[in-house]
Amino acid sequence: MTERSKDVVVEKELSFGPVHPALIEPFRIRLFVNDEIVEDCELTINIPHRGVERLLEGLPVERALLITERVCGICSNVHAWNSVRVVESGLNIKVPDRANYIRVLINEVQRIASHLIFFGHAFEVLGHETFSMRSFLLREVFMDLMAYIGGNRVMPSVPVIGGIRPRADLTESLKRVILERVDDFEKKYLEFVERVVADPLVMSRLTGVGLMSKDEAIKYHATGPTGRASGWDYDVRRMMYEYKPFDFNVVVLPEGDNKARVVARALEVIESLKIIRQVVKNLPEGPIVNRDWVPGKMDFTTMYFETFRGELMHSYSLDSQGLIRGYKIRTPTPTNLAAMENVCIGDHVTDAVLTIASCDPCMTCCNRVEVIDSGKTRIMSEIEIVRKYGWRR
Amino acid sequence: MDPVLFIAGLILSSIVATIIAIFYSLVLPGIERKLQARVQQRIGPPVLTPGWWAVLKFWYKGKAEPIAQMPLFYKSLIWLGIAVVLLLFLFSTPYWWVVLGWGSVLGIAGFLKLEEVLYVLMGSQSQSILTTPMPMNDLVKGAKVKGVLREFVEQHSAERALKMMAVGSLPLYIALLVPFVAARSGMISDVIRAQNPVYFNSSWLSLPLPSNPVILTVPGFLAAVVYFVGYLMLLNEKPFSILKAKVDVIEGGVLEYASKLRAGYYLMRNLLLFALSSIFVTLFIGIPFDPFMPLCFILNMILSLILPIAMAILVAFSPILTFRQIYPATVGLSALGVLALILSVSL
Repeated sequence: MTERSKDVVVEKELSFGPVHPALIEPFRIRLFVNDEIVEDCELTINIPHRGVERLLEGLPVERALLITERVCGICSNVHAWNSVRVVESGLNIKVPDRANYIRVLINEVQRIASHLIFFGHAFEVLGHETFSMRSFLLREVFMDLMAYIGGNRVMPSVPVIGGIRPRADLTESLKRVILERVDDFEKKYLEFVERVVADPLVMSRLTGVGLMSKDEAIKYHATGPTGRASGWDYDVRRMMYEYKPFDFNVVVLPEGDNKARVVARALEVIESLKIIRQVVKNLPEGPIVNRDWVPGKMDFTTMYFETFRGELMHSYSLDSQGLIRGYKIRTPTPTNLAAMENVCIGDHVTDAVLTIASCDPCMTCCNRVEVIDSGKTRIMSEIEIVRKYGWRR
Repeated sequence: MDPVLFIAGLILSSIVATIIAIFYSLVLPGIERKLQARVQQRIGPPVLTPGWWAVLKFWYKGKAEPIAQMPLFYKSLIWLGIAVVLLLFLFSTPYWWVVLGWGSVLGIAGFLKLEEVLYVLMGSQSQSILTTPMPMNDLVKGAKVKGVLREFVEQHSAERALKMMAVGSLPLYIALLVPFVAARSGMISDVIRAQNPVYFNSSWLSLPLPSNPVILTVPGFLAAVVYFVGYLMLLNEKPFSILKAKVDVIEGGVLEYASKLRAGYYLMRNLLLFALSSIFVTLFIGIPFDPFMPLCFILNMILSLILPIAMAILVAFSPILTFRQIYPATVGLSALGVLALILSVSL
């Protein structure tokens, strides 16, 4: 329950889910409304708990990739990459430049695919089938590129500890194909974005709805494009050495409404295209993987990563045999969740669901919270856990 | 006319009109969906699938009892809806114009209003498992807002239907008046007489074309545009499909209709699609659906495609609007309708 509406008298409750045609993942939305106006909102997740962290416990670190890549189907690469970054950082494994370039490439390819699936879902929630279909059609380019590079449309499995898989190395012909496909995509994409922005009906639904101020974004730690669309200039890629060779802008918009969240992602796609071109044109020669390392004891190491929805954290330690101990993953959605509950207050019911979708939630990936309370059995929502313990404990 | 002959003609014309209307109306959704799909660069379904085959498929599906407060009443609403739409259509055909004097603007408006009321009743009855009764632990978990009414999404849809009934469909009724004001009469026969005087003296095989269709006048054209938007509102089509917004209230009041009842709902919806289109051709172009004049009713049916085609294209390019947009749109369209009404006095 949010702070803003403690004293508001509400007329009724509308609850959707966890089984509902508009929800692509199972979660529960409780809207407390007066007529059509949302006075408060409660989101409940943890319906499909998969126990990923438990599965990782005791695994040899080389095998962790098999599971971490499967945390999410849309951002599979970021989980795989951040998982190997932890051990590379903890054991001081040097990654060849060529491998880093290709890791960045596949990440940006997947970022564009993710943003386009966001458009597809957001326009579907908006009720605009044509734009939704168009988004999915445009996305096919990047699904194909993932298959060309990694051999798989959904899980390209590019990073390995110390570099990338040999399968994912770029040949000259593949570089040419990537540039051609990216050029062709950019033309069609810009036409599409211009058409969306010029559509008065779509803009009337998006503009001024789901307002989140910069202060709120910081308070609830709304990371990624969701926070940046509220004016919070925060992007982990700036701090990542892997991104240092590339010239790109971090898209920050001050408006903080649904339109800003859509436009921020639309502009990020263009920045990702810039990075992809730089990777292909400036790809250094050299090895693609460093095999010169031995798994061994590693203290708890935490790595942050800018995924497509926000900030991602992977943290674990290794015992003396190189087996994983205490794996923790925090996807961007748990932090964005508290923001989602707040931003839809004051909207119409139909807009509230759109506002939640505009924060690009990925509910299934974030169901890994474990709280052991002292001897007292109590059911807690994740929002309660956030309030009580915070995320960075 | 001899009363026996008239009654025989009335029965025969009703049978012919009903059969043609049912057969033809089930083709319209296929055309609509195909067009939408082409706009979206998809192949789309075969033309007969969304209408004909969907209805036949659901008709033979296993029986599924709806979850409703009063199931029998809820189920009967579908058959009542079909009857209302059929009567709406029949009263726009020539033999019915004189029956009870309902072949008039009041008859059409009355049946349309009744049709709108049905959505309120359906919504207030339906109680699907998808919302309030969904087994979830959130009540145990607790919330600061306690003891409030937990509403079914269908009930929320019923409230929206009530708002649309009060406000949303207003432009359609204003637009509907324009041909009648232009004809200086409330009767459909006089509207046809004003636009297509040769119709009344034509033989059954001839094709009487209108000499003065109201749609070709400025007020008539404005009213036709307003009628089209009202048509979308009455059919709950995008951008005015707020009572069945998939994103929250799903299908609204018709959510619980399954098997035969779902087939019945499709039949009702498609008949309404055709009836409103046919009434548009009758009132704004002056070509009635006369079951005893084949060329006349065929032309009426062909021209009846105008509105579904326009709707399919608009639907493909529209999001769902909320009441934030619907209220101003209704005010603007009503103003346009009133302007058309004032201008039609000069015709």
